Amino acid sequence: MNSGYLTKESLLRQHTYRLILYLLLFAGCAIMLLPFFWMVMTSLKEESEVLRMPPQWIPKNWQWRNYLRAWNVAPFGRYFFNSFVIAITTTIGEVATCILAAYAFAKMRFFGKNVIFAILLGTLMIPGEMLLIPNYVTITRLGWYNRYEALIIPWLASVFGIFLLRQFFRSIPDELQDAARIDGCSRIRFLWQIVAPLSKPAIMTVALLKFLGSWNAFLWVLIMTSSESMRTVPVGLSLFSSEVGTAYEQLMAASVLAIIPVLILFLFTQKQFIEGVARTGIK
Amino acid sequence: MRSTRFCVLGLMVVFLFGLVAVAEGPVTITFWHAMSSRHQPNLQKLVDDFMAEYPNVTVELSYQGGYGDLQQKINAAVVAGNPPTIAQVYENWVTPIVDILYPVGLHMTEEEKGDIIDGLVRSNTYNGVLTTVPFNKSIMVLYYRKDLVPIPPTDWQEYLDMSKELTVDSDGDGTIDQFGTGFRPAANPELFLNFLEETGGSILSEDWSKVTINNSKGLQAMEYAASLAPYSLITSEYMSNAFQANQVCMFIDTSAGYYYNNQAAEAAGCEMGVARVPMGPVNQKSMIQGTNLAVFDKNQTQAQKDAGVLLARFLLRAENTVYWAEKGGYQPVTKSAYESEEWENWVATHEYQQAMSAQMLDGFSQILHPNYGDMRYVIATAFEEVMLAEATPLEGLASAALEIEDLLE
Repeated sequence: MNSGYLTKESLLRQHTYRLILYLLLFAGCAIMLLPFFWMVMTSLKEESEVLRMPPQWIPKNWQWRNYLRAWNVAPFGRYFFNSFVIAITTTIGEVATCILAAYAFAKMRFFGKNVIFAILLGTLMIPGEMLLIPNYVTITRLGWYNRYEALIIPWLASVFGIFLLRQFFRSIPDELQDAARIDGCSRIRFLWQIVAPLSKPAIMTVALLKFLGSWNAFLWVLIMTSSESMRTVPVGLSLFSSEVGTAYEQLMAASVLAIIPVLILFLFTQKQFIEGVARTGIK
Repeated sequence: MRSTRFCVLGLMVVFLFGLVAVAEGPVTITFWHAMSSRHQPNLQKLVDDFMAEYPNVTVELSYQGGYGDLQQKINAAVVAGNPPTIAQVYENWVTPIVDILYPVGLHMTEEEKGDIIDGLVRSNTYNGVLTTVPFNKSIMVLYYRKDLVPIPPTDWQEYLDMSKELTVDSDGDGTIDQFGTGFRPAANPELFLNFLEETGGSILSEDWSKVTINNSKGLQAMEYAASLAPYSLITSEYMSNAFQANQVCMFIDTSAGYYYNNQAAEAAGCEMGVARVPMGPVNQKSMIQGTNLAVFDKNQTQAQKDAGVLLARFLLRAENTVYWAEKGGYQPVTKSAYESEEWENWVATHEYQQAMSAQMLDGFSQILHPNYGDMRYVIATAFEEVMLAEATPLEGLASAALEIEDLLE
């Protein structure tokens, strides 16, 4: 028997292995997609079908008007606009500040670097809820209440982002920096032309996490604004629930609309996102 | 006598000046609320009517999320010094901030104040002054499936017997398929508070100096709840979900949930009935829930405060509280509303409202203690532990009493 050729048995074994692998992947994929499928199907159901037992997976009469009804509950057009403006500006801002800070902590030497970094990490341990009232008072005294400043400026930096990028930047050999400096490259040029491109997956991870965080932010927006013109999509989604019941079909219709931008973003950046998560060890 | 006259005269002058101030120039007030999409159009309609009657007043309705979110925001705004003109508030939210409120009652006529139903006057009165006024009020009632419960239980014993009778394991697999009743102890500890009231018990003594929840009356209430546990679906979800899935035959829930519960019954293909809560050992009282309206004194001009009071009084008018009740599933909050032709016609054509109306006039409200929110959480935990048989009624109440004791300090 020639070792370069596969026997029928080994081919069969290979195919069987692949089949099992694909079946497992398909099962995993189905489990992951099930909530999305349920969301889309529920968004098209009649109110009485939503909680029927045994569950009714496919609507009898597809209620496309749920989308219209949900859209008309609140000025969702404005909410989407605000969500986009806030998510995009905070993402760009945070990535910029995090890159600069992370570079300083990873590649520069200065007095008290480790202490400052430890203090920054320590702030991660303070629950956000505890800071809500002091932050509200600060925002009000700055005159930012019910303005974009309140929704954007406090979110232009993130300790988590700095930590994530610092870990990544530290894996870039110092020799690269030394060589660049010898060739007359300034620190800022080295950062933008060498470190940043090499760290694309980590930067994309920070950007995507930030975008998701901003897009889904609820309590901060609710507390820091009062007029409908400043509200965002998650605040709009909360309108469908009350203490005594939820209009699930409308909530799901609005949720489908709300996840579309995030889904599109993920489709375009999934490669970098997964790479970034894998290389920085974030779970 | 003379000083009283002066007082009354003074108040009338303030009242009239207020009205003049409001009538003079344009004024904008903000109204923070927690009304979801189902109630917002009704609230907007009432506010539009108000603005049509008082064209110089602009009311900016501002949705502030659920009640928890609204409370957080009010607390933050009070600290920051920029509360709204008017907001929905629970009784215990008011106690710590009563000094920065503009007491609505001082700017209402005696007739208006006397028109508010008695149980609600008490729960809106702080230091002897009617400070807030009731707004979206609901009452706990018994919902039941008419096909399985032809005549609803009228007292505790009947409720227990019927729950037992209706609990069945239809396929014999050892798992109960249909429960006589159901509870959401963690989400709805008001069910225990209902039982407690019906035994004549209370969480605290009248002067709030002692914890009384674990006395013999409290124990009687908790033991009764525990006796229902084997025949009850214990869940954290809306009871309407279980109702639609034919898992429960009857349950006690707020009248505000009527819309969802009825939808669930229709989806399950059965007819739903509504009755008063079963009579307890001492009375047949039921807990009134929902919020009141507070007008803030802080950071408001006199014209804004007056406009806030005007809005609160406007919403108390019989035709408006009836409209709010008919459209939103809440209950009217004034006596004249219950006596109005509109409401009588509504009740005559909506059978379920008979029980709700009767129950509302025999309701009780939550205590005004500032830590009631935390006490409620403690009670919910103990109630859940007992209903899940993780603690005996005695143990549950003992641990709850200890924790509530700490909250008194």
